[in-house]
Amino acid sequence: MGEYAIEIESLVKKFDNLTAVNGVNLKIKKGEIFGLLGPNGAGKSTTLNMILGLLEPTSGRIFVNGTDMHKNPLAARNEIGIVTQETVVEPELTAEQNLMIFGRLYHIPPQELKKSIDFALQLADLTSFRNAYAGTFSGGMKRRLEVSKSLMHAPQILLLDEPTTGLDVQNRTQIWNLLRDINKKQNVTILMTTQYLEEADQLCDRIGIIDHGKLIALGTPAELKQKIGVSSVIEISADKADLPRVAEVFKKVGLEPKILTNKVVAPGGSAATKKIEMLVKELSAHKIDIHNISLHEPTIDDVFLKLTGSEVRDATGEYVSNRGSFGMGRGR
Amino acid sequence: MGLLGDTYTLLLREMLIFKKNIGVNVVRTLIFPLLFIILLGSFGSSPKNVPVAVVNYDNGPVSLNFLNLLQQGNGISVVYETTQQQAMALLSQGTVVGVIVIPSGLSQSVSGSDIYVYLDNSQPESAEVVSDDVNLAAAKIGAQTTLDGVPGDPSLISVIVDYAYGASSNYLSFVIGGLLVMVAAFGSVFSSGFTFLSDRQLGNLKAFLVTPINEFSFLLSKIIYGTFQSFFSAFLGLVIGLLYGATIAAGAIGFLELMWIIFLVGLGFSSLAIALASRTKQLQTYALVGQTITMPLAFLGGAFVPITLLPSFLLPVATVNPLTYAVNAVRDIMIKGSLPLSTLLSTSAILLVFTGTMMAIAFLLFRNTSKQM
Repeated sequence: MGEYAIEIESLVKKFDNLTAVNGVNLKIKKGEIFGLLGPNGAGKSTTLNMILGLLEPTSGRIFVNGTDMHKNPLAARNEIGIVTQETVVEPELTAEQNLMIFGRLYHIPPQELKKSIDFALQLADLTSFRNAYAGTFSGGMKRRLEVSKSLMHAPQILLLDEPTTGLDVQNRTQIWNLLRDINKKQNVTILMTTQYLEEADQLCDRIGIIDHGKLIALGTPAELKQKIGVSSVIEISADKADLPRVAEVFKKVGLEPKILTNKVVAPGGSAATKKIEMLVKELSAHKIDIHNISLHEPTIDDVFLKLTGSEVRDATGEYVSNRGSFGMGRGR
Repeated sequence: MGLLGDTYTLLLREMLIFKKNIGVNVVRTLIFPLLFIILLGSFGSSPKNVPVAVVNYDNGPVSLNFLNLLQQGNGISVVYETTQQQAMALLSQGTVVGVIVIPSGLSQSVSGSDIYVYLDNSQPESAEVVSDDVNLAAAKIGAQTTLDGVPGDPSLISVIVDYAYGASSNYLSFVIGGLLVMVAAFGSVFSSGFTFLSDRQLGNLKAFLVTPINEFSFLLSKIIYGTFQSFFSAFLGLVIGLLYGATIAAGAIGFLELMWIIFLVGLGFSSLAIALASRTKQLQTYALVGQTITMPLAFLGGAFVPITLLPSFLLPVATVNPLTYAVNAVRDIMIKGSLPLSTLLSTSAILLVFTGTMMAIAFLLFRNTSKQM
C-alpha cells in the first residue's frame, strides 16, 4: 500500500472547444483533508467526475489506492464514497429507506445491512428521524444523511463536491464537525471541492487552488499565505460609486490598491498602521464616506486574489459567497 | 448481486416512492382515461363513404331501384362483387363494413324474398351509417326491416340486417379498446421517461452510477417500472370502461388476453421512452418529443377512428405502427368475441420485436451518454 490515496497524473479533459482540465498533477496523501479550491467553471467538478469514472479523461491517469481507475473502475469505486453537488437524498423515502437502497446498491451483504443503517443514522445524528421522510428534513439534515449514506460501504476515501454550498452558517459548522470526525475517527481520506475560502482555510490540511483547469498553487493554508509574501492586508469597503476615488487615495499614500466588487484592498506592508492613519485623514479630507476599514492577516481570499487576479467568482464574474441554495428539496 | 439484484433494488426504490404517493398516483392515473371515456364515449360522428360490398343476384328493376336509393346520400360507397363468398371475405378483412346480398328473382316475386345485410359491428360508427341508409332505402321500396337475422313477414320483401360478430357493440366498446392501448402507451412514456429525466436532473442517476452496480440495471428498473405504471393505468381504465358500459365479448379468457396485450404495449413503449430519455436532458424537450410520437401513433393505430377511414397516404404508417396490431387484437377481444391464436401470436411477436429493438437502442444510447454527464 502506497502513501497516496489518490494520484492524478497529467490529467486533461477537453469538451468540444473548451479545455476544462489542463494537465493537472496532484497527489492526495492518505488520511488528509484536501481542499480543491477554485471559482465555478475552474475544473473542480470535472476533475472529481473523472476520479469517479463518470467522465473519461482526454488524457492522463488516475490511481485510487494504487488501482488504475480506468482499468478497474468498479474496484476503485468500492474504495470511494461520494457526496455530489446536488443533494440526492430521495425526499419521498424515509431516512432509513434512503440508506437501505444505497446500502443494497453498494452490495452490502443483507445480514450486515441493518448494522450499516444504524451506524449511518448515528453518524448523521438522525437516529430519532429513522422513519421520517427525507423531504421533511432541513438542508443540513439532508446533507448529513447524504454524507453518512456515502460512508455506508466503509470507503477509505470520501469525495465531496461543494458539500456546504447553500447551507447556513450553523449547518455548515455541523458538516465541518462531521467531516473532521469522519477523518479523525475513521481515518477516511477526504478530498473536497469548495468555493468557500474560509472552509478551505479552516477545514483542510492542504489546499490546491485550481483556475482555468490548471493547478496554480498547492500547500497548507499557512504555506500559501506565506507564499504571497504579504504580512498584512488593508481593506476598505465603500459605496460602489466611491471605489475609484478610494483607490486614488490608496495610491496617494503609496499603496497598490485593487478594486473589488464592494471594497478596495492593498497589501499593508511594514508600516500598515501608519498607512491606515494617512488613509483615514485623506478620505475625510476628500469627504469620501466609507463603510468599514480593516487591517488583517492575509486569508486564503488574499492568496486567491494574488494568484488569479480576481475574487472567487462564478461564471458571470459575480461574487458568489452569497448565492442561494439550489438543487435542494426539490421533489419529483 | 448482478444485473438482476441491482435492478431489483432500484425497482424497490421506485415502488416505495409509488407507495408513498399512492393516492396521487391513482388520481393522476384515473383522470386521463376517465376524461377520454366520458368525452369520447358520448361522442358520435357520421363517417362518409363507408365501403359496402354488394352482391346482386337479381339485376331486376326492384334491386336496381333499391341500390339507387342506397347511393343517393354520400354515406355509402358501393363495391360490386360477383359472389357472396368474395364479399364476405372483404368483410372479414375489414376492407368493407357491410355486405348486401340481393337474391335472384327479387324483382319477379316481390313478396317473400329477403335481402340480407351483414354488418361489421367492430366498426360500430360506420355500421350504423350503413344500417340507417339501408333502412331508409328499404322503407322507400316498401320493404320491412328486421334486426339480428330474424326473418320477417313472408308476404313482404324483408331486409334482414345481421351482425357479423356476436356481441352487441357500441362506439363505447370501440373507443375503450383503443383507449386502453393508448393509455398503456402514454402511461409508459410519461412515467418511466419522466422519472428517468428527473433522476438525471436531480443527480440521482449520478449517485447510482458511482456505486458498483451494473449500469444497465438502471434502465431495466425504469422499463419495468414504466410497464407496471402503464399496466396499472390501463387496468384502471378498463375497470372504468366496464363500469361505464363497455363489454368484453371474449369473456374471462378475453380479459387475460387483453391484459397480456396491454402488458406488451407497456413494455414496448417503456423501452421506447427510455430510448428517448437516454438522449434528452430537458424534461420539456422530452415531454414534447414523447407527445409528438405517442399521440399520432395512437391515432394512426386506429385507437379512435377505424383504419379503413384513414387517407391512403397514411396507410403505410399504420402498417408499421405496432399500436395498429395491438388495437386490432384488443377490438377482436372486446367486440368480435374471440382472438384467433394466430393473431395473438403475431401481435405478441410484433410487440416483442418492437420492445427488443427499443431496448437495444436504449442500451446503446445510454452506454454512449452515461460517460458524458
